[in-house]
Amino acid sequence: MIEKNFLTKTLTDTILSRRSFLKWSAALGGTAALAGGLNFGLKTVEAAAQTAGTEGTWVPVACWHNCGGRCLNVALVKDGVVIRQKTDDTHPDSPDYPQQRGCARGRSQRRQVFGADRIKYPMKRKNWVPGGGQKQLRGIDEWVRISWDEALDIVASEIKRTLDEHGNKAILTGRFTPSQFLNALGGAVMSWGVTSDGAWPLPVFVMGGGLPASFFLPANDRMDMRNSKLLVLWGANPAWSSGGNPAYNLLQNKKAGGTKVIIVDPFYSPTSQVLADEWIPCRPGTDTALLLAIAYYMLENNLHDQAFLDTYTVGFDRDHMPEGADPKENFKDYVLGTYDSIPKTPEWASKICGTSPDVIRNFAQEWATTKPAMLISGAAPARTSRGQQYCQAFLTVGWMTGNIGIPGGGVFERYHNVSSYGGPSLVQPGGSGVNFLPNPLFPTAGAFGGYAFSGAFDTDYYGMAYEEIWDAILNGEFTASVRGKVPCDIRMMYSIFEDSGSNDLNQIADINKGIEAHRKLEFVVSGDIVLSSRSKYADIVLPLTTPWEKAAGGLLTGNPEMLLCYSQVTPPLYEAKDALWVERELCTRLDLDPDEIYPLSLEQQTFNQLAGATVMKSDGSGYEPLLTITADDISAMGIEGKSQKGRISLQEFKEKGVYQVPRSPGDKFTFVAGKAFREDPIANPLPTASGKLEIHCQTLSAIINAFGFMELPPIAKYLPPAEGIEGTFEDFKTGVKGEYPLQLVTIHYLRRSHSVFNNVPQLRRAFPQEFMMNPIDAEARGLKHGDYVLIRSRHGKVVRPVALMDRVTPGVVFLGEGAWVEKDEALNIDFAGATNTLNGSYPTGQGEEPWNTCNVQVEKWTGKIPDLDYKWPQRIPIEEA
Amino acid sequence: MAKQKAFYFDASACTGCKACQVACQDKNDLPPEILWRRVFQYGGGSWLKQGETLVPNNLFTYSLSTACQHCESPVCRDVCPTAAITKRADGIVLIDAEKCIGCRYCQWACPYGAPQFDEETKVMTKCNFCYDLLDQGLNPACVDACVMRCLDFGDLDELRQKYGDLAAIEPLPTDKITLPALVITPHKHAQLSGHGTGQIQNLPEEV
Repeated sequence: MIEKNFLTKTLTDTILSRRSFLKWSAALGGTAALAGGLNFGLKTVEAAAQTAGTEGTWVPVACWHNCGGRCLNVALVKDGVVIRQKTDDTHPDSPDYPQQRGCARGRSQRRQVFGADRIKYPMKRKNWVPGGGQKQLRGIDEWVRISWDEALDIVASEIKRTLDEHGNKAILTGRFTPSQFLNALGGAVMSWGVTSDGAWPLPVFVMGGGLPASFFLPANDRMDMRNSKLLVLWGANPAWSSGGNPAYNLLQNKKAGGTKVIIVDPFYSPTSQVLADEWIPCRPGTDTALLLAIAYYMLENNLHDQAFLDTYTVGFDRDHMPEGADPKENFKDYVLGTYDSIPKTPEWASKICGTSPDVIRNFAQEWATTKPAMLISGAAPARTSRGQQYCQAFLTVGWMTGNIGIPGGGVFERYHNVSSYGGPSLVQPGGSGVNFLPNPLFPTAGAFGGYAFSGAFDTDYYGMAYEEIWDAILNGEFTASVRGKVPCDIRMMYSIFEDSGSNDLNQIADINKGIEAHRKLEFVVSGDIVLSSRSKYADIVLPLTTPWEKAAGGLLTGNPEMLLCYSQVTPPLYEAKDALWVERELCTRLDLDPDEIYPLSLEQQTFNQLAGATVMKSDGSGYEPLLTITADDISAMGIEGKSQKGRISLQEFKEKGVYQVPRSPGDKFTFVAGKAFREDPIANPLPTASGKLEIHCQTLSAIINAFGFMELPPIAKYLPPAEGIEGTFEDFKTGVKGEYPLQLVTIHYLRRSHSVFNNVPQLRRAFPQEFMMNPIDAEARGLKHGDYVLIRSRHGKVVRPVALMDRVTPGVVFLGEGAWVEKDEALNIDFAGATNTLNGSYPTGQGEEPWNTCNVQVEKWTGKIPDLDYKWPQRIPIEEA
Repeated sequence: MAKQKAFYFDASACTGCKACQVACQDKNDLPPEILWRRVFQYGGGSWLKQGETLVPNNLFTYSLSTACQHCESPVCRDVCPTAAITKRADGIVLIDAEKCIGCRYCQWACPYGAPQFDEETKVMTKCNFCYDLLDQGLNPACVDACVMRCLDFGDLDELRQKYGDLAAIEPLPTDKITLPALVITPHKHAQLSGHGTGQIQNLPEEV
């Protein structure tokens, strides 16, 4: 079987003669020999020829994605060619000590790395000239192959010209902290905000004294979850959103603990189908109303833990307010309707959230009385307009149960690769040793750049919220919290990042506006492995390597119980280079000393991470070195370092590709978050303003208000979000539906890790990017299962095939986020179904993106039916070999 | 006599993630057009008006992963005009590409959709139980790939002893035609073949 969309050599020539191997390596544009003698399992030409006829070697490779997982991925390398993959088989599999098995995306990894659509050469947009050329052709122009020298000369001269003519504030690096060399030149504009966590970071931090799930784990650990009598998953679908073990862990925990599971979600999801004893439908953006009704029920029936609230929280009722607060602004009176005359009853909530009052009452009874209970929220309900109100409500109504700091009990946001995990990391890499030069334009940004930036009162940062990037480019100003609007003049977009992804044009709301913004800039440069959206609309595209091509290998974290180690399996394909090499070359052209800006080689950085890797001692009392590294190891790697003793040898770690800490119920690593606080809240106050859990939180209000996108009350209140359920009505009170009567959820979708993997044909077949709709809504529009439909929002239009299923709530529709926009310019329709074509930009709260509050209308598509997704031609901009 | 090799599938644990389908495509170098293992989403139910809200009524959904059943009475072998399909002593049913003339008769006859036509080579192909891996004492690729741990394999009699003899749930056809070497643990909402009230929720081109 010859597969045309895959570099043919890697499939058909499973037994290569020495001659053809050399020819293939030459065609790849480089020698097959390894740099620096760092041998992570890849054979030299001589050795490869000798293995011709043998079975090949299994080499652990990177699965490096932002998928909510990260698992062990292993490649079978024969004569320098990866012929297939496997996943973790390094130890027998069990619920306590599970293998780190990869998902469909990871199992397709070699097709991504060796796809015929890899960018092979530096390219220039045909009609670009300094200043922009015919800017309206960005995205639809032809591509011309250029040399690396020419490409780097252009990038350097454009940076120089932009700095000379417009200054540092004219260069934008999107959602990430600028490269070191740009910081050395005076910095660049970076943006800030929250993506995955939605509105969660600040509430967790200032109300609960914890840190958001994407950074740390303020949650009970996997083994402790088996002590729960009730598990509530609110807006969490780990089967799709957290690749690898989480859904499996949750099912095993449920079985081990006899735990009842209730899932709240507009979608009766794949997670629900294996895990849920009960499913509670709830419209997107209305979860706050449902939570308030649960609180009402608890108050009405005296089911809340008053003693816990009195001792451990502030703001629940007028007798327990924080200092200086208006006693009327207490949660209890708001729920009872004491001052606004609107008791937040299940009947009241039902009109908003669509859940029947009986179901709400039964759910509330369980929530309040089944203990200990693990009450876990995903991030999706917080990726809504006014998402903070949901976080305030979830935490408050969770705390009303008293499930804090006890075995089997907790109230957490938990998602991504800490779904089903908690507690401190049991094994972790050391630091790379890189000292980050601060960005002079944004001195308070750390290594994570502007993610979860909370400096609303800062007056010395220069940069906009992620969702304001396109508006800032087009309108020449951005919102700078307490300073109000600040002018800006962006001329250039620089997107050269290690490791694919970071597809800003595709992943920030309002792609149509993003394309318009791109066509205003003078220069757009993108480094990429394939022509994703941000590269398609660029002027210069540079071919970058994947971690499979990285001679230095490296480490990857995923869940806290294991650490991954990957090796190179192929020399860089064609003319691909790593981002570090590119930036060192730019340094030379910009009168910077590359060794000064980037003193550490990738090999040295990897070594530092290996040497500094630590594992928790078996008695749980602290950490010890993971690896034994010998003088021979060090001289073979060609770096600087000292030998050391650890738990396992470096060779063993490299060969297995993973170190995982064995677990068992009740072991020394079982962790209960908030235990000390629960035992003695006076001696162990939380790092909140009051030292307690803040149901009334003035800090949260003050910071959110200072950001300037909205006003937030200090207690949880339901206020209609933009494009929520209310947005589907012409008039909510009379119930007359408006022009966009359906609610769209932009769900995580297994074809991709966000936008990465969208181009792999096997995944496009497995996951066809269907638009999911309830038969009631379809029937009203004369739609049948499999029809192509036009989906319109206030911001854009897409066409997709529709799949009818009763497991989506009527009135709610679903489309996977991350498809690469494929815009028909004449029709102004995106045929790939990128959800950000439909999402509008509504910067909210802490600078998060309210993707899950979006109203749409749907009708049958009567135009030309597009090809099936997996039959679309790959994006191969330069055909020559 | 060698024992009949069989697959085991636990429908109560499957989330339809397709790691099995894609791992199989990787192991066998299959293009996107050819699915030796396919994953279905089956479900139904309705929503009823209750007061001012709609409430789910008998809502159900589950996933089902299926490849070739290596049937005890393989109809594909019976209809093949060139005897390209044989059944080994261990029960594995194989297509010999050299003998196959691509008439697609087996594709017509198989109630499970197992035989897949290869547009490039013009012959039929299907799941071969990873017999090359089995010969080395290893597991089929799909079994080792399964993230929810719901796929297994072994001797049909032993699997039946351990898990019972259910071999057909919707959307699979009845097991009475070809006697599939398959053992299923049903999902709590699984419907017996021929008595389904739901639909396949995948798009047609997906499976």
